[in-house]
Amino acid sequence: MKKLLILFAALAAMVLVLSACSDSSAEGGGDAAKEVNLLFNFATNSLDPHVDTSYVPVRAGIAETLVYLNDETLEIEPWLAKSWSSEDGQTWTFQLREDVKFQNGKPMDGEAVKASLERAMADNIAIANALRIESIAVDDAELTIKTTMPFPEFPSELVHPNTSIIDVSETDFINKPVGTGPFAVASFTPGTAVDLVRFDDYWDGAAKLERARFSFNEDANARSLALESKGADIVFRPEVETVEQLEAIDGVTVESTSTFRVHQMTMNLQRESLQDVHVRQAIDALIDRDMIAETILSGHAEVATGPFPSSFSFAPDYPEKQRGIDEARKLLEQAGYTEQDGVMQKDGEPLTWTLLTYSARADLPLIAQVFQSDAGQLGIDVVIEQIEIPEEHMVANRDWDLATYSNLTAPRGDAGYYLNATYHPEGALNFSGADDDKLTAMIDELNQVVGQEQRSDIAEEIASYVDEQMYNSFVLHPNTLVAYNSGKVKNWTTTRSEYYMLTNELDVE
Amino acid sequence: MIRILARRLAEVAIFLLLITFVSFLFARMAPGDPVLSILRVDDLSVSAEQVEQLREDMGFNEPLLVQYGEWLADFARLDFGNSYISNQPVMDMLRGGVPATLELTLGGLFVMVLVALPLGSLAALYRGRWIDQVSRGLSLLGAAVPSFWLGLILIDLLGVRLGWLPTMGRDGLHSAVLPSVTLGLAISSVYVRLLRSSLIDSLNQENIRAARARGISEPRIFFSHVLRASLPPVITVFGVSLGSLIGGVVVIEVIFAYPGIGKMVVDAIRGRDYPMIQGYIFVMAILVFVINSIVDLSYRYLNPELRLKGKGRV
Repeated sequence: MKKLLILFAALAAMVLVLSACSDSSAEGGGDAAKEVNLLFNFATNSLDPHVDTSYVPVRAGIAETLVYLNDETLEIEPWLAKSWSSEDGQTWTFQLREDVKFQNGKPMDGEAVKASLERAMADNIAIANALRIESIAVDDAELTIKTTMPFPEFPSELVHPNTSIIDVSETDFINKPVGTGPFAVASFTPGTAVDLVRFDDYWDGAAKLERARFSFNEDANARSLALESKGADIVFRPEVETVEQLEAIDGVTVESTSTFRVHQMTMNLQRESLQDVHVRQAIDALIDRDMIAETILSGHAEVATGPFPSSFSFAPDYPEKQRGIDEARKLLEQAGYTEQDGVMQKDGEPLTWTLLTYSARADLPLIAQVFQSDAGQLGIDVVIEQIEIPEEHMVANRDWDLATYSNLTAPRGDAGYYLNATYHPEGALNFSGADDDKLTAMIDELNQVVGQEQRSDIAEEIASYVDEQMYNSFVLHPNTLVAYNSGKVKNWTTTRSEYYMLTNELDVE
Repeated sequence: MIRILARRLAEVAIFLLLITFVSFLFARMAPGDPVLSILRVDDLSVSAEQVEQLREDMGFNEPLLVQYGEWLADFARLDFGNSYISNQPVMDMLRGGVPATLELTLGGLFVMVLVALPLGSLAALYRGRWIDQVSRGLSLLGAAVPSFWLGLILIDLLGVRLGWLPTMGRDGLHSAVLPSVTLGLAISSVYVRLLRSSLIDSLNQENIRAARARGISEPRIFFSHVLRASLPPVITVFGVSLGSLIGGVVVIEVIFAYPGIGKMVVDAIRGRDYPMIQGYIFVMAILVFVINSIVDLSYRYLNPELRLKGKGRV
């Protein structure tokens, strides 16, 4: 029997030896080379810039687009295109930079850009729909693009990472796309990481880093631990509960940056009670935004006054509103409701709402619960219904009153996408069923105007009108959390668009 | 043996046809379709008309049986189609993910054997003693602890504090250690108790007493007779649960960013990526078939009675 015990002890020792068989790469490959490891929260199995929904090629500095979204001004700027213009909003002329090379050494010329855009549209129907390109003509470094209809926000759509310019004469788009960015792909392990090397001939000055690693992990706790173990230098969206612990680590900085997303309360305008603007305003008044931002998102959110974050030029200065349960009661009384025996009712009919929510965004069911509780204090019965795919459910079923939903409102710096999708009767995200002639006419006008300033003015008017009519109520803009080792990483910028991460300016100590 | 294999192959053909049909129906009958994901309604401008047009173009408005017939026609040519989300051929994606998942599963099994064999054996040999109590306690603990929590604790301990092992990714053997240990520990509790009771049954057999009476050494009795006789029930449970084990590694794959097919298929189900879901089910069905066949054949090796029956000698 002793021999048996010895044998088991030997087996156990083998396990320990195996466990100890780690090499330096266990530390994330940190050596003297100028290198960073960024850990992102979405994984991808393909680096194809025209298809990848995680936008890794642009985020990792492999590929670039014709147009850039400036994070400070929130306006579009030249990138691979030097300039652009259009008289009628339908025929666009783009002047391309002439000093740009792909990472394989070939020059980026008009024909290459045309071929790249054509491939993006052929392989990605969403991009083909969004760009609405009818034809592309090339004359040296000048590209003339005609859209199928007047499309003033066309340049801003070219900010989208799936319109990246790559050399389509290469073949391995999934593992090794060849773009124009500061980093070229060295190797790619699908679902795990892409290893990058500096592209010395980068047109905007070679990157300060020699190498970089853009890795993925979809578990927030595991990402926090990776920063602690120095397995990663920059970590996107660490677990909120670990933020204090991370901040306590010497040299770790946690940034909380507002985004272009809004959590909103969508209202079904086809429901009887919600056809009265006073009821919609009462719902808006009932939402305790400060409490939700502070407790549910631990303060990592900007309280929303409208769909667009206040930093956008087309976000109106909304009039100060009274909020709270008393104000909601007052508004409901204006709509003819009275509270009797603790039940809010009109003509003997109690006021009840069905509120949809879904768990894909963890904050939303909690917001629904807070609202349910507050409405309960007014004698309103709110029934929460958990759904799976909100976009499907809200269109196919119209027996709901309210829905917590989350939208990107100006992902490429222009309000056109959101206003068309959400308030135009033909919009795919018009879940509230808004069909207001005045509003539609304003959006149609926006769709004809080319100048950025004029577009901003009209978008601002539309946002004000939506607020007056209270077609939806906006709760908050959630922040993005990024934790990084500021003792090592230099020149890191957390962009609100989250499109640009590894840049030529990024450096290490 | 050839007859058994031939019969098995005929069975598997029918089984595969049935399973693809049922899974096709379930996937399509679940609410939603991939059109909104394909058109990226949450990010790009789309009209309701374009949504309906794509639904029509992709054949989602056709009757389910017609859709299945079309899928079957492609399947007969071994064309599983492209993923709706990534636009990559489904088979290429599965080919990329299956090795990682198998690696993780085998690693987990290896750890399970390393844990369950000594603990189960010692618990059986020292029945009622402290080591049996410890084994019981550890098994209960193992069954109660969720694998994602265990994974995070192991990352914290072995990755962050001790710095021995990488915390994520698939980069050589050492990167498979932590996920394999997590998986192995999570599944070993069942096998410790199962092996213990099976060993106790075998230890009480008369042939074992006879072997002792003949003066054969304890280790030889244990390894040559007791352990071998105890394995068939353990392997039966193992065979039944291996399919779900492969499918259930998804939690481990997410925590350790291990690029297997578990995570891939969860994304596919969320995005209603039908070709990917069908491809995954097909591959899993084949894997389960292969494993069950191996388990069946192993009975013949472990149990001489079955082998002899086959030769008509019993």
